[in-house]
Amino acid sequence: MFVRLTLLMVSLIGCVTRLGASEPQAGGVALLVGGEQSLAGEYEYFERKIRPLLSEHCFECHSDQAKTLHGGLRLDSADGFAVGGDSGSLLVAGKPEESLFINAILYEEMEMPPKGRLAEVDIAELTEWVRRGAHFPPAADQAPRANNTIDFESGRQFWSFQPVHIQPLPEVADANWPRTRVDSFVLAAMQREGLTPAPRAERAILMRRLSFAVTGLPPTPERLAAFINDDSAEAYDRLIDELLESPQYGEKWGRWWLDLARYTDRTASWLPQTSQAHLYRDWVVNAFNDDIPYDEFIHRQLATDLMPQTGAEDLPALGFLSLSPAYWKELKLPSELIKVIVADEWEERVDAVSRTFLGLTVACARCHDHKFDPISADDYYGLAGIFASTRHLERPLISDEVYEPVRVAKEQVAKLEKQVAELKQQKPLPQDQIDELAATIEDLKTSTPLYDTPLANALAEESMYVVRAGEKPEQGTLLEYRPGPRDLPSFIRGNPNRPGPIVRRRFLTVLSDDQPKPYENGSGRLELAQSITTESQGLAARVLVNRVWLAHFNQGIVATPSDFGQQGGRPSHPELLDDLAARFIENSWSIKWLHREILRSETWQQSSAVEFDANHPDPENQWLSRANRRRLAFEEWRDAMLVVSGELDPTAGGPATPLDIATNHRRTLYATIDRQDMSPTLMIHDFPDANQHSPMRTATVTPLQGLFAINAPLLQEQAQGLVSRLHQASLQNDSNRIKQAYLWLYSRAPSARELQLGLAYLTAPRVGEVPKGDTALARWQQYAHVLLASNEFIFID
Amino acid sequence: MQVSNSDGSSPSTDLGRREMLRREMLRYVGYGMGMVGAAPLLEMPQAVAAAPRNLLATPHFPPRAKRVIHLFMNGGPYQGDLFDPKPALKKFAGSKPPGADLVTERPTAGLMPSPFAFHPRGESGLQVSDLLPQLSRHIDDICVLNAVHADNPNHGPALLQMNNGTIIPTRPSMGAWFLYGLGSENQNLPGYVVLCPGRPVRFSILWNSAFLPSKYQGTYINHSAIDPDKMLPHLSNMQWDHPTQRGQLDLLQQLNADHAAARGGDTLLTARSEAMETAYRMQFEASETFDLDRETKQTREAYGPGHFANGCLLARRMVERGVRFVQVYYGDGQPWDTHTKHNETVPKLCQTIDQPIAALMADLKQRGLLEDTLVVWGGEFGRTPTSESGTGRDHNHHGFSMWMAGGGVKGGMTYGQTDDFGFKAIENKMHVHDLHATILHLLGLDHERLTYRHAGRDFRLTDVHGRVVHEIIS
Repeated sequence: MFVRLTLLMVSLIGCVTRLGASEPQAGGVALLVGGEQSLAGEYEYFERKIRPLLSEHCFECHSDQAKTLHGGLRLDSADGFAVGGDSGSLLVAGKPEESLFINAILYEEMEMPPKGRLAEVDIAELTEWVRRGAHFPPAADQAPRANNTIDFESGRQFWSFQPVHIQPLPEVADANWPRTRVDSFVLAAMQREGLTPAPRAERAILMRRLSFAVTGLPPTPERLAAFINDDSAEAYDRLIDELLESPQYGEKWGRWWLDLARYTDRTASWLPQTSQAHLYRDWVVNAFNDDIPYDEFIHRQLATDLMPQTGAEDLPALGFLSLSPAYWKELKLPSELIKVIVADEWEERVDAVSRTFLGLTVACARCHDHKFDPISADDYYGLAGIFASTRHLERPLISDEVYEPVRVAKEQVAKLEKQVAELKQQKPLPQDQIDELAATIEDLKTSTPLYDTPLANALAEESMYVVRAGEKPEQGTLLEYRPGPRDLPSFIRGNPNRPGPIVRRRFLTVLSDDQPKPYENGSGRLELAQSITTESQGLAARVLVNRVWLAHFNQGIVATPSDFGQQGGRPSHPELLDDLAARFIENSWSIKWLHREILRSETWQQSSAVEFDANHPDPENQWLSRANRRRLAFEEWRDAMLVVSGELDPTAGGPATPLDIATNHRRTLYATIDRQDMSPTLMIHDFPDANQHSPMRTATVTPLQGLFAINAPLLQEQAQGLVSRLHQASLQNDSNRIKQAYLWLYSRAPSARELQLGLAYLTAPRVGEVPKGDTALARWQQYAHVLLASNEFIFID
Repeated sequence: MQVSNSDGSSPSTDLGRREMLRREMLRYVGYGMGMVGAAPLLEMPQAVAAAPRNLLATPHFPPRAKRVIHLFMNGGPYQGDLFDPKPALKKFAGSKPPGADLVTERPTAGLMPSPFAFHPRGESGLQVSDLLPQLSRHIDDICVLNAVHADNPNHGPALLQMNNGTIIPTRPSMGAWFLYGLGSENQNLPGYVVLCPGRPVRFSILWNSAFLPSKYQGTYINHSAIDPDKMLPHLSNMQWDHPTQRGQLDLLQQLNADHAAARGGDTLLTARSEAMETAYRMQFEASETFDLDRETKQTREAYGPGHFANGCLLARRMVERGVRFVQVYYGDGQPWDTHTKHNETVPKLCQTIDQPIAALMADLKQRGLLEDTLVVWGGEFGRTPTSESGTGRDHNHHGFSMWMAGGGVKGGMTYGQTDDFGFKAIENKMHVHDLHATILHLLGLDHERLTYRHAGRDFRLTDVHGRVVHEIIS
């Protein structure tokens, strides 16, 4: 009704400005309906039109955030305007011509802002505001002040924020079953629910499960035979240790971490980068193999450049942040637009760091206090400021002094290359000159030691500012990096063009004992990393323990691995989670220790072969009275194919290789990940979006995956490889070959029926088939393809 | 579709995933294949408990459109040449009136009138450019939206916004939301297909499912070669003929059946077997769908030659077979991005869209599909009424034209206005969020209720914005 009425009035009056009817409170129209207009409309107008101008041009000297308050004048609050400054009263509401404020921006007696006269439209807008009564929202300067509204003290009582403690072991009826502390907690819960554990899985099944769990690869026949024939009590534990010490362990678990870290091999094309993202991937793989304590693992990824213990060779660790998604910033656009994009990037960093390490969704608090968790908008800006104080750039893995001659040489080369490019525009082509320069360039490159020394995606302690390139917005934007950190204002409703009060860089209030202390050491990255592993040690440990548990059981103790807040799940086994987390810390945050604790348990060794139906008291297996069957991730499936076909290229590390080229026989971990242009093969196989933190993979079942399984060259090629391998081995006949194939693929011998099915397929002619010389081999290829596509190959019991 | 419990809380994504998979498999196995209407509601445990036998996807209210074809003029067409005539430009040609200082991507000079004539068309008498003579015959079925606006004048962010509502790549595209809300009508074809003869300047992030399950992402098809095998990866087996493949599959299913039987018929296992069967059938169904040779000569001629014509015809073949959402990008890169030689380029571009779109409209109508198929036409933004470097036009996101037809939309009307020169939307403005809200509404989905819990909060295609523009709904 209001809209219609407005339209009517607009058309009656003759419509000087045709403002959008969908914005009934905007400008001229609002005045036309004057009497109905409340102050709310004026405040809205202020927020939309006036505050951004004040913020842009005045706050630097006249606000809470000013380093020195100039002229005793504050323009960021209603009070400030009312009181005025050293030169006296500022405003006469409704009378711009009598207002000192307008006088100053008109450059009459006073000239404000001193950097240059405002654009006419801006002056007109401010004048209009005063004419309309200079309404300034009374509370806006204290807008969303969470600290006033969130009860952090009671917030701290939430389960996931409690310190972790080693828990007393529960009483269990069957004292013989538990092998580890894990088992006691799990069995106690089962008993409470009237459940009993499943028997231990058969050795071959257990071996296959364990091998994929630790290395992502099927067991070698030798290891399998050794384990099955070794009935000593320590055989199983020894096997765990052996697998954890194999370099393939880091490859499997490194990839697991890279999902969380939204790893990409290709960063945005407009960034000046040399595409050596794989240094971070390899750093992660090595970190797992070296079992770097998890607290240190966090510190180094967030701040190794600030740690005295590590040197330039560790800079690749910073890829976690430095490879963050960058969004396109068109610098011809006004800074107001670019500020939004930059603020979106900061939000992404806050999101990735807080969900990965703390299991908290802090980014929800960008526009207002978190709706569910005790996290204020100020808490958000306390963290966002850290990322605003951090520059992403490439750095060499050698000291600055050693690199200096290389830097100089590269600068010279760049200059010369520019000259060459210019010469190439000339007609006729000055070929001699070009050749001469090319020779000089080549000479510089070869004669400078370490010219091609790798550059890692790293960080530096510089702050980013988005500023106008000229006096007017339409002159575009400059991104300026300035030494030293910066604190961000709390943006009102998340809008960087509506800055509120400055928030010091600091940790989350709810995870600090009291009011968090501001960070003092540069950007604060190292302090943040330390806060995560000390002040919120319990939470950080719980989150990590739960992630590893989830990977091993296909379900978490907490079902929401990256949300340990109010909206997240509650632990199914709270004491167990606490006990494991506390002992994880006690055991120097060793992830390998954690694997052992879990894998050695009877709980993990249970069989999945348990009949259950809808009447089962626990059909979803929440209480873990059996093992969960799981489908291999695409990486595991592809890698396993390469292993059984004998084609796997075990080369570790280094630049990525495109996934879908026929010559790529490396582990899938080394296939190129391009977050802008994801391989279609990965996309249809539930590979996560590499633009954002991915808490866990979703498993979908789609016909496109089916098409891949029946038709993709990958399976055809690996089937071929498998067949040649079977025919090379000294196997006398098809029966033996089938048996060997079953052993390689399924870690077991075929049943009589399976053997018969295979032989029948290999020998029986089919309707309509034209016999060919290579039929027997072709049959073998079809058969091998079936085995590679089978459920038994792709599922783990 | 986020399903609320009686207490208003909603199941968490992380929490629901494992359960979702299991339910989805139940659906596959228990209810057989090829059923009409997937049942995303079933994916949420609570919904299953409440309505275990509810097989059909239930939109929030009766849909007017069951499927959508989006003709995407990537690069950004100039509205003033096509649907939004601005006679005032002639009068003030070369001048820079107030309002010409709007921020677009690049600096522009004075007003540059469009040299192309407009005439009233159809019974409605809407003004349509002479550049689109054939399409103008369908104007009485078309609702021209003349005051669409977006947030950013660069291609990348604007392409993202048109697809996912934001200028960042971490949100699900509208097609993913459609599938999440409604499922697909044909299990043997992908539910969301993106056609482009080449690739738009932003790639898979334009149709990704972001945090929604990956099966909702668009299937990208480069249709520059009209050969089904080249269009859909792995559609055919290059090694074996169909009888051989059937024999392989029979053996596979036998082994799988034994394997599953020994494991209590675990639905995790049987679902995959079913998907393999579907894939096998898809080889035929998709080959058939993507094979334009199955159309009559008459139909091929009606659509005319060229990639875009082929895209339109493929789109019709797909929606006919129950594909929920087909996007047809006009061409490789950004063909409509006329920063120079605008007036020379536009007639050529129009020539390649006029006949195909007219044929598509006629074809859909004749087959009774236009009633419940929504056709959407437009770019990621429009262009400026002022000239850039003499012969070009810059991007303009402040106000531009799109149109919709069929699927419950009123024909023969315009909605919204730009100012006298066409700088900016001023009346009945329609932000991209409003466009999305309206499309969802036509599909029977409430944009405020189609939510997904992720990273601690409920996400929507329209974020916290969006207004359903009821004025254009018939």
